[in-house]
Amino acid sequence: MQIFNLKFSGLLLLLLVAIFLPFLMTDYWRYVFSIAYYYTIMAASWNLLGGYTGQFSLGHHTFALIGAYTSTLMILKAGIPLWMGILSGTILTIIVSFVLGFLCLRVRGIYLALITWAFAEVVRVYIRMDYVFTGGDRGLFAPLFFGTTKPLPYYYLFLGVSVFAIILIAAIMRSRIGYYFRAIRNDEVAARAMGVNTVRWKVFAFMVASGLAGLAGAFYGHSIGLISPVLGEFNEMAMIIIFVVIGGMRTQAGPVLGAISIRYLMDLLREWSEIRIIILSAIVIIIMRFFNGGLMELFKRAKQWVQQKGIKEPVPAYPQIDQK
Amino acid sequence: MNNHRRHLLNVENVVKDFGGLTAVNHVSLRVVEGEIRGLIGPNASGKTTLINLITGIYKVTGGGIYFSENRIDGLQPNVIASMGIMRTFQISRVFRDMTVLENMMVPALSQGQTMLEAKTRAEELLEFALLSTLKGEPAKSLSGGQNMLLQIVRGFMNKYLRLYIMDEPFAGVHQSIKGIILKAIKTMNREKGITFMIISHEMTTISNLCNQISVLHKGEIISQGTMEEVANDPLVIDAYLGG
Repeated sequence: MQIFNLKFSGLLLLLLVAIFLPFLMTDYWRYVFSIAYYYTIMAASWNLLGGYTGQFSLGHHTFALIGAYTSTLMILKAGIPLWMGILSGTILTIIVSFVLGFLCLRVRGIYLALITWAFAEVVRVYIRMDYVFTGGDRGLFAPLFFGTTKPLPYYYLFLGVSVFAIILIAAIMRSRIGYYFRAIRNDEVAARAMGVNTVRWKVFAFMVASGLAGLAGAFYGHSIGLISPVLGEFNEMAMIIIFVVIGGMRTQAGPVLGAISIRYLMDLLREWSEIRIIILSAIVIIIMRFFNGGLMELFKRAKQWVQQKGIKEPVPAYPQIDQK
Repeated sequence: MNNHRRHLLNVENVVKDFGGLTAVNHVSLRVVEGEIRGLIGPNASGKTTLINLITGIYKVTGGGIYFSENRIDGLQPNVIASMGIMRTFQISRVFRDMTVLENMMVPALSQGQTMLEAKTRAEELLEFALLSTLKGEPAKSLSGGQNMLLQIVRGFMNKYLRLYIMDEPFAGVHQSIKGIILKAIKTMNREKGITFMIISHEMTTISNLCNQISVLHKGEIISQGTMEEVANDPLVIDAYLGG
């Protein structure tokens, strides 16, 4: 209970820091952090699917793309209010993910990765090609959520949505569903033999993760004011996976830590755009080689080291042998 | 239909083909409620395939499987588990990244037990199996024998459990763990009336434990009866000693 309270207090403190941080920042850094929070949602939701449930999807970024385009198109073409556009974007991603999740039930590993990648490419290429409906390569102007491009309100919007996503995922993982997800990832055949309805929960994981991505994508479109197929490019997916892996896969804090720290680092190095990719790649190699549990494993080991050092007893003197 | 009523498990003329290979060939088997049935046979005789058919991992090519009068072939494994049939695997399949206690919780939670109910029951069973000191450890840190024991006690978490099928539960485990497994089987059979079907190559153990023994050879049941009866059956002697 004490540990729980300590963790809860720590999280509350971090949230308070995040709330007051924008007052110490320029608009540029407020924008950087609001984008970092967007990637936090994407990374945390992918971690639910690829990390906890073991469904290695390479189409997660596409759900953000679908959410963004559906919301904007519904507002522009059907004339619905902005909040309904966001809602429709989220609902459509959940429906599409239900169908995709169902189609992918019997496949896993590299085959699941390939199917989801192919799905992502189909959606992206269609959006690029259809200039009449989706605006093609040129993209679409999306109505702004707050009617302004000033980053401060969007900072709080993405902070709020990312906190919602983190709490939702934490609640799922602490419930019986979390046990099913982890059992499925560990051994699907054994999970079924133990009574877990793997079909239902695998599809559910797909729907929750994709719904969150769709919601984040819809808000993203309405925060930058312009959406384009760039959001569906594969490097977006690669970045999401890198955030999760660097932060710590299958941990709740890992994707948050990964997304915020790497986005921050990338912006610190923005003047050296070529070098920053090399640095990022080097970090990935080092983390994978020495701490494949990511930064969370690094912290865990450091904590263990400090604890061990703290309780270390002095080495007893070697017994003196009387030579006489 | 009257026959089904007297038996908890009724395997009727079941066939399983894998391409050109018939792994289970017109097998019929009846298990009475409350008995401990032994299923023996040389390697590759179709024992594990038969378990996979009963528990829904494989679909039957022909015939039918009935559990307590309900036809179960064609049902999903999780539905079969919720009806009260649990199983273990020859090579222990625990959830390696989950703790011992979490492993125990999975079958209970999947049948709608509350977290508290599941935890209380899990702790009782772990105490019984002398695994309670390891309850917070990840299953991957356990020895092979402890893994097998965990796999076995995990099955008892199913509160609707009526038939427990165990695939080689004594293979490669230490004598002390084997003793706990035997005690668990006998206690659950006597006190809860759970029916067991046990595959094993350990003839002495099977002989002491099981009321009835079925012998499978090349996908067919070649003999059934007490250990003494099957041991003296020329077909069984030929199956084990012949080419």
